[in-house]
Amino acid sequence: MRTSQRAPRASSALLIYVIILVGFQVFLFTVAVEAFAAGDESLAAATAAVSVVLAALAAVFYRYLRP
Amino acid sequence: MTDEGVPVWRRDFPYEAAAEDEVTRREFTRYLVAGAAVMAAGNVGIAAWTKLRSINTGEARDIVALDDVPVGGTHLFRYPTDDDPAVVLRLEGDEVVAFSQKCTHLGCVVYFEAEEDRWHCPCHEGNFETRTGVVLSGPPPRPLGRIDVEVRDGRIWALGYEP
Repeated sequence: MRTSQRAPRASSALLIYVIILVGFQVFLFTVAVEAFAAGDESLAAATAAVSVVLAALAAVFYRYLRP
Repeated sequence: MTDEGVPVWRRDFPYEAAAEDEVTRREFTRYLVAGAAVMAAGNVGIAAWTKLRSINTGEARDIVALDDVPVGGTHLFRYPTDDDPAVVLRLEGDEVVAFSQKCTHLGCVVYFEAEEDRWHCPCHEGNFETRTGVVLSGPPPRPLGRIDVEVRDGRIWALGYEP
């Protein structure tokens, strides 16, 4: 019984985590575009790497979400 | 699956609940994850584009005759590619300097302010030193991209670009 009560809350938490990660992704994409427009090369690789890690993390959260 | 894309179970049990048209939590999360993947791909694309752009530092090219640029005057050209606005300034005699016209803040076009003796970006009031392009004031984080130029036989040549 305890498990069945916890499951919806757990899936809600996972969804919120994913929303937060997507928010970070939007921020990173904005930073990357601004850096590109300004010709700043130092930020491009860092934002790309962090963005890929966040996307992978979001995919992992999705995998653990109950169908 | 049938030819029409309808699952077999749906054909055998053709009843629908009202909630079936709603997006489930998992589906919504799938959209979010897909969006995250698209943005990650976009970031990787931008990084690759930036890297490729930095490889092209330009090749030696004839820009303009020295006599066509008055002392204290500028001439606009494109370097290293046709998408990169650049400007050459004649200082004194044969002395010339050239910079990318893209402000290092957000990429607005800078121009030479003769009365203030500086490069000026009108978007956010960024100012750069005339000869070196280093930042004098304003939000730009880095100096202007410098283009190596020299005078050969009375003509100004661009030799390469240093971001």
